[in-house]
Amino acid sequence: MLLTPEIVPGLVAAGASARIAAHVAPRFRAGDRVRIRNLNPATHTRLPRYLRGKIGIVEVDYGVFVFPDTHAHGLGEKPQHCYSVRFTGRELWGPAAPERDTLRADLFDDYMDPA
Amino acid sequence: MATHPKETDPAIRVKALESLLTEKGLIDPKALDALVDTFEHKVGPRNGAKVVAKAWVDPAYRQRLLSDGTAAIKELGYSGLQGEDMVVLENTDEVHNVVVCTLCSCYPWPTLGLPPVWYKSAPYRARVVADPRGVLAEFGVSVPETTEVRVWDTTAELRYLVLPKRPEGTDGLSESQLADLVTRDSMIGVGVVAAP
Repeated sequence: MLLTPEIVPGLVAAGASARIAAHVAPRFRAGDRVRIRNLNPATHTRLPRYLRGKIGIVEVDYGVFVFPDTHAHGLGEKPQHCYSVRFTGRELWGPAAPERDTLRADLFDDYMDPA
Repeated sequence: MATHPKETDPAIRVKALESLLTEKGLIDPKALDALVDTFEHKVGPRNGAKVVAKAWVDPAYRQRLLSDGTAAIKELGYSGLQGEDMVVLENTDEVHNVVVCTLCSCYPWPTLGLPPVWYKSAPYRARVVADPRGVLAEFGVSVPETTEVRVWDTTAELRYLVLPKRPEGTDGLSESQLADLVTRDSMIGVGVVAAP
């Protein structure tokens, strides 16, 4: 499809959600403790390096989305759940991190194992 | 292969990509001009400021905004590209939210427009996760020790908008006067809204 100026207003207004109406069972539920997998692909991923191997708590199941790691390379949508996962500052950065501070990242089923 | 320093200039790489996409018949360059014009001139943080001001004066709207950000923002006419799945984060005395995309530059376009250069810079992306209080201090924001700093790394398809705290002493202001106080930085979480 050719992207023309006529398409732009509709494209901007409608967007292109990566949310997908697929029925895929979630691997995790809010409150679950998870360990982030130590994955180091040379290809596209949405898993930031600083989270690899860390322990977090699933906070919210955002629903089913296209999996960018495969979709970016034409390897299929591989629909799966994406979650907001909470990490403590101390889990990520050690004992010097302020006790109260935390971080949330949006992570897919394929990035995590139960912990 | 000889290296030419200029090859690393992003403008040249963008030009090369644009030429290639045009030659392959995938884009009409005028479509890119229309996209850039839209996000430079028609969409920007004043949209987000109106969302924030409405949430400050209308408790029912605030509730809808926090429970379904995408739908509540759409009520004001803001939706679409890079705002398909919005989550609104409320700053309170207990929690100060701050948003980053460590992987690239994901940002809620319909409410904030295009991201500022510093938001896309490697130092902001690397440092705000590891030392959020230090980075906030550089922006002039001091968060009390008793308040949790909560960093949101925009790693997937959700887009985040911070609902900053309403400044004290603004009870007499109208919704549009309140919107004028709201800064872009306060909706990213690296600023606070000051009273006039």
